[in-house]
Amino acid sequence: MRDRTFDPTDVAAGVIFILLGLAFGFSALGLEIGTSLRMGPGYAPLVLAGVLTLLGVLILASGLRSHPDEAIGPLAWRGAAFLLPAPILFGLTVRGLGFVPALFLATLLAAFASPRMKPWQALALAVTVTAFSTIVFSYALGLPFRRFGPWLAQ
Amino acid sequence: MDLLSNLALGFATAASPANLLFCLIGVILGTLIGVLPGIGATATIAMLLPITFQLEPVSSLIMLAGIYYGAQYGGSTTAILINMPGESSSAVTAIDGYQMARRGKAGTALAVAALGSFFAGSVATLLVALFAPPLTTVALKFGAAEYFSLMVLGLVCAVALAHGSFLKALAMVVLGLLLGLAGTDIYTGAPRFTLGLPELADGFNFVALAVGVFGIAEILRNLEGSQGSREVLGQRLGGLFPSRADLRAMVAPMLRGTMLGSILGVLPGGGAILASFGSYTIEKRLSATPEEFGRGAIAGVAGPESANNAGAQTSFIPLLTLGIPANPVMALMVGAMIIQGIVPGPNVATEQPDLFWGIIASMWIGNLMLIVLNLPLIGIWVKLLKVPYHILFPIIIAFSSIGVYSVKGNAFDLFAVAAFGLLGYVFLKLRCEPAPLLLGFVLGPLLEENLRRAMILGRGDPSVFLTRPISAALLALTLGVIAVMLMPRIRRKREEVFVAED
Amino acid sequence: MAQVSRIGSFASVAALLATTALAQSYPERQITMVVPFAAGGPTDTVGRLIGEKMSEELGQQIIVENVGGAGGTLGAAQVAEAEPDGYTILLHHIGMATSETLYRELPYETLEAFATIGLVTEVPMTVVARADFEPADMAAFVAYVKENADTITMANAGIGAASHLCGMLLMQALDAPIVTVPYRGTGPAMTELVGGQIDIMCDQTTNTTEQIQGGTIKAYAVTTPERLDLFPDLPTASEAGLQGLDVTVWHGIYAPAGTPQEAIDRLSSALQAALADPAIAEQLAELGTAPSPAEDATPAALETRLNEEIERWRPIIEAAGVYAD
Repeated sequence: MRDRTFDPTDVAAGVIFILLGLAFGFSALGLEIGTSLRMGPGYAPLVLAGVLTLLGVLILASGLRSHPDEAIGPLAWRGAAFLLPAPILFGLTVRGLGFVPALFLATLLAAFASPRMKPWQALALAVTVTAFSTIVFSYALGLPFRRFGPWLAQ
Repeated sequence: MDLLSNLALGFATAASPANLLFCLIGVILGTLIGVLPGIGATATIAMLLPITFQLEPVSSLIMLAGIYYGAQYGGSTTAILINMPGESSSAVTAIDGYQMARRGKAGTALAVAALGSFFAGSVATLLVALFAPPLTTVALKFGAAEYFSLMVLGLVCAVALAHGSFLKALAMVVLGLLLGLAGTDIYTGAPRFTLGLPELADGFNFVALAVGVFGIAEILRNLEGSQGSREVLGQRLGGLFPSRADLRAMVAPMLRGTMLGSILGVLPGGGAILASFGSYTIEKRLSATPEEFGRGAIAGVAGPESANNAGAQTSFIPLLTLGIPANPVMALMVGAMIIQGIVPGPNVATEQPDLFWGIIASMWIGNLMLIVLNLPLIGIWVKLLKVPYHILFPIIIAFSSIGVYSVKGNAFDLFAVAAFGLLGYVFLKLRCEPAPLLLGFVLGPLLEENLRRAMILGRGDPSVFLTRPISAALLALTLGVIAVMLMPRIRRKREEVFVAED
Repeated sequence: MAQVSRIGSFASVAALLATTALAQSYPERQITMVVPFAAGGPTDTVGRLIGEKMSEELGQQIIVENVGGAGGTLGAAQVAEAEPDGYTILLHHIGMATSETLYRELPYETLEAFATIGLVTEVPMTVVARADFEPADMAAFVAYVKENADTITMANAGIGAASHLCGMLLMQALDAPIVTVPYRGTGPAMTELVGGQIDIMCDQTTNTTEQIQGGTIKAYAVTTPERLDLFPDLPTASEAGLQGLDVTVWHGIYAPAGTPQEAIDRLSSALQAALADPAIAEQLAELGTAPSPAEDATPAALETRLNEEIERWRPIIEAAGVYAD
């Protein structure tokens, strides 16, 4: 490992803030800015987006001048790949498939985010969580979820 | 001696065996649902509301109040144990509470939170009984200019939430403010940052943001490395109950938090939101060891938890004296009252004294039940941490999905959870802390709305902020806080200079 | 492809069977009533009250699902897309008609996407002001507001809210451009009115009755053609010489277009029976309103009302130039 002369976390954070600031600023451009009596919807967003971009520049500048004090470390690629789609899957299927299958699938998918999870364990876990939630939320609390949705009707 | 006879009436109402039972059921149900990760007080109450419709009006409201306190306790529990706050107030508890849990002091953190909440709840209930009408008068003096100045003060406090880089904390606050502005502009109807999606017309859902940047990001961090799911909380769980030194360390923060929370809770326009954040800032400033904050400081749990619970109690004041709900939870209670045939208004106290004082009395009884119930439960909650992490986290994901979805029945909120989870993880890796982002998100709309409203009401004259006395006082206080915050920096700089000269 | 068409034809046969069987058996499971606003609000309250009574009539539970957001259009859109089988219905208020103009990109065609079931209730509105507002009665109010229009401030609960609609009508009737200050919901608007931070508002009796009776705000007029039993002393706007301020927040129940006629009829008769119940009348009276008469709780009456109101509000909203998207 060669000695770096900049702090990668600060540089990356600075760049992200600059990009976000520009993105927010860009989408606020179409909004009316207004006057000080009647501030338009674009007033605050534009000012704040400018401030965010400026802060991003400052963070980037300080990152380029300092040494890294801590490594970024390993990234949770597998975790992100299985975990993040789980709530999305639930959202996509809860109306069509219904609460029970949607929750089962989402839990099963999330379970594989850890390499320690054995397939039979994941299956047992998903079944247990689904059964518990169905009893508690659907039967006991009577929440208006359809347990099995129209996609399964035929 | 009116007060005594009123309180006697209240306790007579609340302590009837049936009402005690409903209070207990409410407290238990509230705790059990609220402790499920990602399910905060609003979601819990929305879920449990229909159960209360079948009861007598007084019993129904007593049970609902019990559910509310129970859900708050439950929310703090998940914030401490797995870094999963379901409400803005418990986001602060998560900062140091979770760090205490990671150091094997989960039991202590939970006990400190419970004791602080109970003390604050008792004091605030007494305040509600004694001073509800005069406090209402104060709250009504708050107009747009005052709220704006209060939010500015809150914003300054936000930076103190971070223990890392000052610049990054500031950037996170600003990003939070921007995210908070998303949605339809209430003044002109112009859509802002909605990406053309009707689901974003009312902005991002707070629960989705909190679950994403706190909970999901933390789970991802724990899944890092080739091994995957390292043992997060270690095997040593330490003593369950606070030591004598712990208790001594929590007294002063608890008192200050209770005071701050009681005052801010009365303000219906979002004052209570600031209570726990403000308390954290104060404790960090006053602490002899500010570097402990963010690494598991007891004061960082005791203060905000007390402030939060005191605020929860006094936020009933506008509802009780005016019939105006101060937050979404109160709005749910108003709905429940109307369904029971009671339309809440300024006359409830005189027309239905048994209801009015019965609810106040049951607040205290509910808090008492919670502490009795929760102290023994701490042992069980802490044992849950012994469940292997790779078993625990899919369960967390499942419950969070249900919780987020149940708030509005909106699938889009679940997509937001995933997006904010990713964003939160990236920021975590870049050592940008999520708490200032969350506070910015909550303050953003309030800040802008009240600024614009004050300018309209003040005919475009910015001096309204200085000519209205409460607003001017708040701005002066803001300047004071900034000065105090800058002082150690200046001193340090000066010392560095002196060292260099030596 | 063959697979798909087989499923398709199977589905249509099943649907046919379901329709013929429906007359006798509907409803045979619980019905979801979508309320397109948050739980605990006034619309949700109306929905839960009427839903509970209708459940008794139908012999099946009606459960309320709150799908809030975007002024009620998200919930309405969801019902528009739901299966037209009689098991998903919508309770919506005047916003059903105004959103047709307020939203330029509405995801459904209001008149095509829904079948009407019946009117539920009409909530009157009141012109109110802070407790120490100078004018003594409605006539003085009209004169005073016209004279001081540029210094008077009027609150509303956000774009498309009942208070916003009534405020637009009030300004049109007075022909005075009052400074409008929007709030995020009724709670904050009412707080600031009670606190005297803002001058006037026009809102539903649901929100104002208790405050008027408690003396924390002052009432000037009602917006109905006749005086209300609740406030016999309050004049109607037209009595005070203000024409055109005639508005109520009417609530109706809808189903997705294509719902079988048997289900519509069954729901409509259940609605009429529920509205005839004295307990419902009593609970609605608490809210300052009354159940719609049986002849209004019909598909035809609601359809007429919906058509009229869409046309009525279109020019008003377009003239104000305020859109919610």
